Amino acid sequence: MSAVPTTPGAPGAAGTPGIEAQRTGRVRRFLGRKRPVTVIVAASVLGLLVLAAVTADFVRPMDSRGINLARSLEAPSLAHPMGTDQVGRDLLTLAVHGLRLSFGVSILAAMGAMAVGALIGVAAGTLGGRADGVMMRGIDVFQSQNHFLFAILIVVLFRPTLGGAGAIALSVAVTHWVQVARIVRGELLSLRERPFVQAAVNGGVGRARLATRHFLPHLIPQLGLAFVLMMPHAIFHESGLSFLGLGMPPDQASLGNLLSDSRRSLMLGGWWTAFFPGALIFIASLCVGVVGEYVRERSNPRWRSELEL
Amino acid sequence: MIAVVGRRLLALPLILFAVALLVFLLAWASPYDPAEAYVQGAAAGDALTPELREQFERAWGLEDPMPVQFLSWLGRLVQGDLGESRYLSGAPVVDALKDRAYPSLVLLGSALGVVLVGALLAGVAAAAFRDSPLDWLIRTSAYAATFVPSFWVALLAVFVFAVQLDWLPAAGASNLRSVDGGRVEFRHLLLPMLTLALTQHGWFTLYVRDTLLEVLRDDYVRFAEAQGVGRVAVLFRHALPNALIPFVTLIGTHIPELIGGSILIESVFGWPGLGNLTRQAAIAVDIPLLLAIVLVGAVLVVLGNLIADLLYRVIDPRIRESMR
Amino acid sequence: MPAIEARALSVGFRTERGVVQALSDASFAIERGETLVVIGESGSGKTVLAHALMRLLPRNVTLAGEVDLEGQPLLALPEDEMRRVRGRRMALIPQGAGSALNPVRRVGGLMLEMARVRGLGQGEAREALDGSLRELGLSFQQVAERYPHQLSGGMQQRVVNAMAMVGEPSVVIADEPTHGMDPELVDTTAEQLGMIARRGAALLVITHDLRLAERLGGRTALIYSSYIVELRDTAAFFSQPEHPYGRALLGALPEHGGVAIPGVSPELTQLPRACAFAPRCPARFEPCDEAVPPMFPLPGGGEARCYLHA
Ligand SMILES: Nc1ncnc2c1ncn2[C@@H]1O[C@H](COP(=O)(O)OP(=O)(O)OP(=O)(O)O)[C@@H](O)[C@H]1O
Ligand SMILES: [Mg+2]
Repeated sequence: MSAVPTTPGAPGAAGTPGIEAQRTGRVRRFLGRKRPVTVIVAASVLGLLVLAAVTADFVRPMDSRGINLARSLEAPSLAHPMGTDQVGRDLLTLAVHGLRLSFGVSILAAMGAMAVGALIGVAAGTLGGRADGVMMRGIDVFQSQNHFLFAILIVVLFRPTLGGAGAIALSVAVTHWVQVARIVRGELLSLRERPFVQAAVNGGVGRARLATRHFLPHLIPQLGLAFVLMMPHAIFHESGLSFLGLGMPPDQASLGNLLSDSRRSLMLGGWWTAFFPGALIFIASLCVGVVGEYVRERSNPRWRSELEL
Repeated sequence: MIAVVGRRLLALPLILFAVALLVFLLAWASPYDPAEAYVQGAAAGDALTPELREQFERAWGLEDPMPVQFLSWLGRLVQGDLGESRYLSGAPVVDALKDRAYPSLVLLGSALGVVLVGALLAGVAAAAFRDSPLDWLIRTSAYAATFVPSFWVALLAVFVFAVQLDWLPAAGASNLRSVDGGRVEFRHLLLPMLTLALTQHGWFTLYVRDTLLEVLRDDYVRFAEAQGVGRVAVLFRHALPNALIPFVTLIGTHIPELIGGSILIESVFGWPGLGNLTRQAAIAVDIPLLLAIVLVGAVLVVLGNLIADLLYRVIDPRIRESMR
Repeated sequence: MPAIEARALSVGFRTERGVVQALSDASFAIERGETLVVIGESGSGKTVLAHALMRLLPRNVTLAGEVDLEGQPLLALPEDEMRRVRGRRMALIPQGAGSALNPVRRVGGLMLEMARVRGLGQGEAREALDGSLRELGLSFQQVAERYPHQLSGGMQQRVVNAMAMVGEPSVVIADEPTHGMDPELVDTTAEQLGMIARRGAALLVITHDLRLAERLGGRTALIYSSYIVELRDTAAFFSQPEHPYGRALLGALPEHGGVAIPGVSPELTQLPRACAFAPRCPARFEPCDEAVPPMFPLPGGGEARCYLHA
């Protein structure tokens, strides 16, 4: 097994959830050429969104559920910048809380994927040999399937016990651990072949020390990036599943639920009920993607074409 | 050639076996209780008494060890017995799948066609006018399209074209085959097809553009230029055929994406295909139906990859040669 | 009027590592019927020179100097007109025939297309191609239905060579036209190239094969690290080079003792503002490190870029 120079991430997160960027290697150069301006804008917008999500309770408290049928389906105005929904709730309030919920669930989900991936990666990397081969084969098969379809099955099976958020997180974990496992396994394998590791082992350095000194420092930046790049996928799972009525409980204002609710309002002309929550999903994943991929490009010079300006 | 097809076809059952094993393990590990699900579905108010449960478990072999259960399930799958759908009040799952397959294939096929044509046009235009505002526009929108939630686009499309403009129906396509004897209701198809295509074209467009630019740097392109071949001919007759070869494989790897996208799109538009059936089965917690759909999805993915792989071999003379 | 003339031609490529100075201050003229052989080590800028003459350069290029084709300045020509110049009035035999042939096109169709770009009718093109292929021991029929990868390296090279000969361009630039050929084929090709020149075309041949260079005669330009350092009658050059690099190069041939030149050639991103060869030069003296030497005329004709001849 060659020591694959493991690259940070490429956790299949580049675009629409599911299509793996590395399958279309050249596409990722798109952002390499991007001006930092785009990236700075994306990072700032992302920062704002996170801030809004974190401070949601202060800025737009949800306490008085705000149901007011007299204000049903009001178009955006100063008082209600995103309008109101069918039962007269302020959409901005719902949206920032939905954003928080989506971010929260996504972080939980990405953490789950990291855990599963790390476990399997360590298993494959340390067992090696046949077990490793079988695992990698299995990974290939699994990778080529559609994640969303599996996610639906998982959510249906596990929602009764794990609840909406837990089931969504599990669905992401089960479908998106592959890249993490690859990174961990690759790093393990390449670590084995490096001379300083041999030297360290021969010199009687303990495994724990080896792990903290040599293994984790290589791994953490890559996993961090993988984590970030997984967020758009997780956001997509949350919103997509909730939209279908399979994710968060309907009384919770997740972005997917808001979109699901908007279907009736749309027929009555309330475009804002769909437009704003969806735009938030879109912008949040786009910004995460832009920033994450930029970091990836930066940290891996191999992808930069020397002759091209 | 035949050997290659043979080898790939041999791999197909293996892959399906792996997928079947995976979904079975998931179902097995889950708290899902078939007996309870059955009782709840059968008649409201019926309680699942311990005796009743025992009866079920014996009848369905639920007491057997897990591998035995898996094998017997697999055996039934192989014989084409996918179980009965609770959601469809006990109808065989196979029949449900058959009914829904045709509309899905119409939608997926037509959307894929639109994606391919659109991506080719846009990608070639972007590469030909590289670094121009047009290129920027195509690149940026294609990139953004890879992040856009498809169901959101679908909702907005419904609002604009069905609610506001009232040009096209928002939903209500009947089962195309059963009602229209196979005739496709184009009016109904248009919106789902276009939204699915719009939200799926991103990678294709970027790929065409980038591959084309890469190929345009190749020696044979420079040689054609050195011979005085015109710009358009260089692009279409010398560069494009080479760029299209890897493009074909992208189609194969993109099939799962399309399937996933179609679940959401079909749900928004009430399209009577497998995607919508997926949602309905999920909401009704109809596990046999859902498992069957997952397996059908896996078959489609494998077949898509196989076809792309074969196409790839057919259109590249260098490989075609070595396979004779 | 020379068929083609370059004056102070310089080519640089902007890259992430800085500017790669691939050709510096190249000046020469080739009359109709005359041959100029260009030799130099790998990476010295020979191919860049050939491409610059035909303006086949990528977008990250910076170009200075002038190129005249039969008195007509080329570098200012609009791209459309330049395209008409290529193929019809200037032909290129590119380096690496294998990769110059489009892998997914049949050789016949490819050849016909390119011949027809030069204004030949279908029948005419076919005949002309067949004629020049036959001179090289092939026939149109033999290769037409094949894909490039189905031809041997020597066959590919001959196909490419034959394409350049169709339509009698006034300048033919051949970049290593004998690559991958066995000695007999090299002979035929040398023959052919000689014929191109005799027909009245200006011929520029880039080669690593010094024997071929000697055979082709005419004049020789020796390139070192983007500079033409010696430009002389070929026979005179091979009997007694005047530039220290030329001497060292010939001295490194096995039959002359095989003494390798010490040191390595400089990075093209960091060319010194002095003689590029000075660090490796046995005859180095003060002026060598002060400025880039210009081309000094030599007593017996020709020029050398060396202060020894100031
Ligand atoms: N498009 C480009 N961008 C950047 N550098 C380039 C480009 N094309 C050529 N170069 C550089 O210019 C220098 C000269 O290249 P050139 O191809 O002319 O060498 P050469 O003399 O033909 O060598 P060889 O004998 O190997 O063919 C090389 O260092 C090469 O790396
Ligand atoms: Mg060269």
